[in-house]
Amino acid sequence: MSKLLIVEDDDALREQLEIGLRTHGFDVASVATGTDAIPAFEKLKPDLILLDLMLPGKNGIEICTEIRKTSGVPIIILTARTDDQDMIRGLEAGADDYVTKPYPIEVLVSRIKARLRPLTRVIENPIVKIGSVELDTLSHEVRKGEKKIALTPLEFKLLLTLASHPNEVYTREMLLEQVWEYTYKADTRLVNVHIQRLRSKIEDDQEDPKLVLTVRGWGYKAGPE
Amino acid sequence: MIFSRTYKAALGLFRSSLQIRALVYTVALSGTALVILGGVLSVSIGNGLFNTRTERALVESERAKFTVSRLFNGMSPYNTWALDQTIQNVVPELESIGVSQTRLVAFLHSNKQPNPYELSNPQSAGLDLSLITDSFRNKVRSQPGLTSQTVQIKKAGESVPAILIGQPITLPGGHHYELYLVYDMISEQQNLAFVQRTLVLGGLVTLMIIGFFSFLVTSWLVKPVQEAAITSELIASGDLGRRLPVKGTDVVAVLATSFNHMADSLQEKIKDLNNISTMQQRFVSDVSHELRTPLTTMRLSADILYAKRDDFGNDEKRSIEIMHGQMNRFDKLLADLLEISRYDASNVQREFELQDLNGVVGTALASIQQFADSKGVYLDADVPSGAVKCEMDAIRIGRILNNLLTNAIEHSEGRPVKIRVAQNDSAVAVSVTDKGIGMNESEISQVFNRFWRADPSRKRTTGGTGLGLAISFEDATLHNGLLEVTAEPGVGSCFRLTLPKDSTITEFESPLPLAVERA
Repeated sequence: MSKLLIVEDDDALREQLEIGLRTHGFDVASVATGTDAIPAFEKLKPDLILLDLMLPGKNGIEICTEIRKTSGVPIIILTARTDDQDMIRGLEAGADDYVTKPYPIEVLVSRIKARLRPLTRVIENPIVKIGSVELDTLSHEVRKGEKKIALTPLEFKLLLTLASHPNEVYTREMLLEQVWEYTYKADTRLVNVHIQRLRSKIEDDQEDPKLVLTVRGWGYKAGPE
Repeated sequence: MIFSRTYKAALGLFRSSLQIRALVYTVALSGTALVILGGVLSVSIGNGLFNTRTERALVESERAKFTVSRLFNGMSPYNTWALDQTIQNVVPELESIGVSQTRLVAFLHSNKQPNPYELSNPQSAGLDLSLITDSFRNKVRSQPGLTSQTVQIKKAGESVPAILIGQPITLPGGHHYELYLVYDMISEQQNLAFVQRTLVLGGLVTLMIIGFFSFLVTSWLVKPVQEAAITSELIASGDLGRRLPVKGTDVVAVLATSFNHMADSLQEKIKDLNNISTMQQRFVSDVSHELRTPLTTMRLSADILYAKRDDFGNDEKRSIEIMHGQMNRFDKLLADLLEISRYDASNVQREFELQDLNGVVGTALASIQQFADSKGVYLDADVPSGAVKCEMDAIRIGRILNNLLTNAIEHSEGRPVKIRVAQNDSAVAVSVTDKGIGMNESEISQVFNRFWRADPSRKRTTGGTGLGLAISFEDATLHNGLLEVTAEPGVGSCFRLTLPKDSTITEFESPLPLAVERA
């Protein structure tokens, strides 16, 4: 049973979320303030965190940044602020996905399941290469030369998707569907932000990417090397 | 033709430029004053010259009388030959003395008594005797002293003013003679002409100097007015912080001060209005946000009940379904409210990419197909085969299309809805035409208004928010595009969205017609 941590300050919503997610078969714990979030995360070691952005004590973006220093645990931000800037800042801080209030429980559950689903790739060669970067699909380790690179599961999946078919162009919509498992329209900036984060980890020069290339007017592709 | 055009242009300039008007008036008035002054000066100088000449002529005439007396002094009155010789000597004698270079002389026998000895009547060559009229001679005879008169003489073919002075002289033996002297005034005339020329020239130069100075002065005076005009223009165009510089304490400074006061209070008022408007926008946005959390909770609660609705009795089950449906509607309404408040706050970012309009239309058609089928409406798409590329935000354009299609299907009364896509060099367009109930003029004018519904009594089947077309209009405007509508009651409606191919294009024509179609 997957363990979820909910960080949400609204009591009624938190309780209802707990009930709703429990009926969908999750093991749910929750905290009401930003200050409690990190201790609860360290103590409970949840499989996924649902994080409100507007929190007393410590806001969601700060919590996200802090968790990402030590862990790649999937984080989905819950936001009433459809103000894009907040959502984007949350994603830039390391959140994997977002859900905008009000959301039906099915949407939330499908987002959670998408993030918890293990990578099921059966290929002959478990090592996928893109330039000097090697992805080990068994151990989920990423190396650039001798250096080990820490990618979140989402970033790993994103890079693996692109690298499995080098030079094949993926539109943002395709990536949303294959990596995030969206079946309906979602904000394509989700892709943009994560491509940027990915580049910052694997590229020598983020401004002049050689591994993950932008195809203007279309989307992205793995580099030619 | 050309003259009249030049005249009109000059008149236009005269009317439009305060400075040129002031300049023209100043020069005209100073010119008049100078002409009057010059005239008075010229007349008075002329008089002075004339009087001086006359006085000198009188003095010379007096002296001439003594000369003549001396000539005849001691002569025997009976020696008429000698007498006549002397008489003939008078003219050369008098012509050569005195300072006047040009002096004409006539020494005429008076007709008071007969001229028994046939004495001579000598006169200067070139003197026209007709100048000396009989009436003047009578006047001379009747008084002992000098008699003078102004006459015109001919000299080198020109008429020149001259002074004619006559005096009676009695010769020894009682012969009555009259001595006439004609002094021309050529040099005076020349002097006067010179003075007049100088006056005219001086006047013209003075006028030019006056013109130049009045230009400087009016520029200096008009400059603050021009500045005020430019500043008001700038303020009117939105640069509310503009003010006039205040220098000194004169009337211009007072004008600048009052102007700045006016601008201050204007700016204050506009700021207040903006604040109120911003507050309202923020209120709408805040309310929408605040509603989201309880709405989410309620929605989650409703979802749980909805999932288990079969466990309840019929009434409860139906209530749960209604609640669930209304949650969706509430949700959509909030989303639209937030969207419109974002537009009101100019808080919408343009995120455009080169996209194929055909693809966006295809997606929109696919997503609406089920609804069209449920209404029995056939969607007839006329789409060009190639790609119709355009810089756009596909989500917003898809939203516009979804709105237009939903409305068309709702109002088409089961008749087919036509969808067209086309492009030209500068723009792409998509139109949605239905053959339904249509709209009248007043309905057309309100169709993009918020919360406006064509017919309040109409059944709301889709539960639209009433903000759909208002948001669509804003979406189109964000693309620098146009969302237009035409309709006819009972015939149908046609909505046309035209988008420039990229943001550099400002002028474009829609590649599609905006017209209703008859069934």
